Amino acid sequence: MIEVAHLTKHYGGRAAVDDISFTVPRGRVTGFLGPNGAGKSTTLRILLGLDRPDAGTALIDGKPYRDLRYPLHTVGALLDGPGSVPERRAVDHLTWIAQSNRIPRRRVHEVLDLVGLGGVAKQQVKKFSLGMGQRLGLAGALLGDPEILVLDEPINGLDPEGIRWVRTFLRGFAARGRTVLLSSHLMTEMADTADEVVVIARGRIAAHGRLDQITAGHPSLEHVFFALTGDQGPEW
Amino acid sequence: MSELLIAELTKIRTLPATWIAFALTVLGNAVLGILAATDLVRVASANGEVAVGQLGALMLAPAYVFIAIAVFAAGTEYRGGQLRISLAAMPDRTRWFGSKLAVSAVVALVAAIPAVLPGLLVQHGAAGDLAFSSTAKDLLALLAGYLLLSLVGFGFAFLARSPVTPLAVLFILPMLASTALGNLLPQFVKLLPHEATLSFLGLSADPATTLSRAAGLLVLIGWALLFVGTAWTLIVRRDS
Ligand SMILES: Nc1ncnc2c1ncn2[C@@H]1O[C@H](COP(=O)(O)OP(=O)(O)O)[C@@H](O)[C@H]1O
Ligand SMILES: [Mg+2]
Repeated sequence: MIEVAHLTKHYGGRAAVDDISFTVPRGRVTGFLGPNGAGKSTTLRILLGLDRPDAGTALIDGKPYRDLRYPLHTVGALLDGPGSVPERRAVDHLTWIAQSNRIPRRRVHEVLDLVGLGGVAKQQVKKFSLGMGQRLGLAGALLGDPEILVLDEPINGLDPEGIRWVRTFLRGFAARGRTVLLSSHLMTEMADTADEVVVIARGRIAAHGRLDQITAGHPSLEHVFFALTGDQGPEW
Repeated sequence: MSELLIAELTKIRTLPATWIAFALTVLGNAVLGILAATDLVRVASANGEVAVGQLGALMLAPAYVFIAIAVFAAGTEYRGGQLRISLAAMPDRTRWFGSKLAVSAVVALVAAIPAVLPGLLVQHGAAGDLAFSSTAKDLLALLAGYLLLSLVGFGFAFLARSPVTPLAVLFILPMLASTALGNLLPQFVKLLPHEATLSFLGLSADPATTLSRAAGLLVLIGWALLFVGTAWTLIVRRDS
């Protein structure tokens, strides 16, 4: 379970995240939804121990992420692309990540096959398309066979086939009792994926609950999003 | 601990830049060693023609290619967002930085042996001085110089968040120092990493910017500690 409590983070005097609290339950896909600049990535970076909060806590099974000894066995994360040096081969990128957390080498090939990159494992990452990069990032997140997945805009750059694959994968992942937190700035993306949504706007939680409850009484998902965030976005 | 060391070694090993820098250093040192030993080529200078072996700065030039190994090990953390993955996989930053530093230092030390030895043997051989003690002493001094310059570059790359800036600065600074700046401020110039290394290796040409060998070593150690220590402090404290 993920528990975020009274989390606050300022960048140069401006609050990117302002006293937000929410929990992410097991066995569900929770969508973390909000327009660009709402504070999603900031929240996820703090959750993963990459940035320090000014106040509040973000805990994973009751512990700060930085206290996990081999974190990839508990949490898999995808933030902003695969995080590979472009000159490195995909298989080498995953190999060092696996070694750092005592994950057996055969798992590298398993996850490459799982995301459909088995055939290009020995290519340098700079030759990858945006979608292939996202798949490599996902492969990295899955290396440790984690209980929890944290994905920041994982659909970005994927083709329709890739989107369908991610969706099916995440549904299956949660159905096995595991936890998924994925962010998006597109409400429509959540429709067939998320059970729960946490809506964030301008650094504050605008709504939190089951997707069907939040959308009840509104003509469409877009209307809900607009009503909650005041953001129409260029996408619709 | 060992898993962090293994992961950091894999990072260095699977970076093409590592092998390119290593190969170029071996080649550069071998060629300079042969030129110095045979005295086939002489270089025009302000003091007339000089033997290659007398030009300390030229003899040290391959070291600046060599330090790219450690500089890239550190600087590529800021390429393609690798740092985020490193810190997510290894969130104890003190342990992580310590492991990365240890691996980079050992790699630099071990790689420096084949990088400098052929050139050194050619020179000693030509001078008819292949006695173990004198050759070993020169080898150890060169290894120390290569290691300490590598550590300066390693720390610098973390501060600059890039592999390019430290390589450019460390390469250009000696050239500036050897010209106008050097003549104006010899007291300052002799404390720069490059000049301190030349002094330590006994390769310094200009008495005005020469320290004793021991002082050169101490100054160079000081630079390495300063850059690595500052980088370590920043990594532990700042947001990724
Ligand atoms: N490293 C940073 N430095 C300065 N401002 C930042 C930084 N990261 C995020 N911000 C600001 O914080 C706010 C939230 O950004 P972010 O968390 O990236 O939003 P989202 O992921 O929802 O698009 C934005 O106004 C953004 O400009
Ligand atoms: Mg974002």
